[in-house]
Amino acid sequence: MTQRIYIINGPNLNLLGRREPGIYGSDTLEDIELRCREAGAAADLDIEFRQSNHEGQIVDWIQEAIDDADAIVINAAAYTHTSVAIHDALLAYPGYVVELHISNPHLRESFRHVSYVSTAADAVVAGLGTVGYELIIPIVKSLLADQAVASS
Amino acid sequence: MNNVLILNGAGLADLAPYKDGHGVTLTLSGIKTECESMCRQLGLVLDFRQTDDPDEMFRWISKDSEAFGGVIINPVGHSRAAIQVFDLYHSAIQKLASLKKPIIEVHLGNVYRQGDDVTGPLLKPVREMGFICGLGKYSYLLALQAIARKLNPGAHAGPA
Repeated sequence: MTQRIYIINGPNLNLLGRREPGIYGSDTLEDIELRCREAGAAADLDIEFRQSNHEGQIVDWIQEAIDDADAIVINAAAYTHTSVAIHDALLAYPGYVVELHISNPHLRESFRHVSYVSTAADAVVAGLGTVGYELIIPIVKSLLADQAVASS
Repeated sequence: MNNVLILNGAGLADLAPYKDGHGVTLTLSGIKTECESMCRQLGLVLDFRQTDDPDEMFRWISKDSEAFGGVIINPVGHSRAAIQVFDLYHSAIQKLASLKKPIIEVHLGNVYRQGDDVTGPLLKPVREMGFICGLGKYSYLLALQAIARKLNPGAHAGPA
């Protein structure tokens, strides 16, 4: 059975390519989704790519992933620094969680120094630019394969 | 410059206490072998080093790294180090970043889950630096792929 990854994107990422391109680059979220689908096809993974500006919607999607996805890649954007609800939902998720950021958020304003997502994630990837999305997909595939070997 | 310098800090020569999350013990030589094989696939030349001596580490970061296209550093405790040690690290990295080279800090484990005060700021030297933690050996392999993309932005063919 093909394994599935949820790629969940948080607030304002729908404006990518138009918002502060000096920090986030000129790629749009649609460009990233397309490249994720290509990377998913190459790695034989189902990609469920979503974006919401609403915290509760993101919590609902993480809960949906409990029965539907083998791994979550989450860019919670600004909610990274505020959302205890997303932290708790991720702790309830039994699969592999990678926190992803396009820039290196902790080096900007001091209010971005605290991350509620990082302590609930297995891994954190930041500051690789938009290419981080497509590169993490085959890595998640390898991690899932290693896990399967270890538990067999 | 298609060469990459990987620097490993204090204590990494012995990874015996480190398990990759599936109960498999990693070794630094095992990680080096995988990095070499990844570099061959990506067309990169690798120089892989480890030291327990902080002075040597700062020398490598501030001097030796200038001869490389990209640099990957596992600084171990520097993200939560005493401020003087961090300041040294910070200025060495800042100098490197000013040369516009891709630099990525990597950690085997998720450093946010280590220690008591996990809500405190994690010190990172410069915004231009990439950051990867918690992927075990894949932290290094992902960093190499990201650097290959930076050095050859046109090349989309990744390793199989």
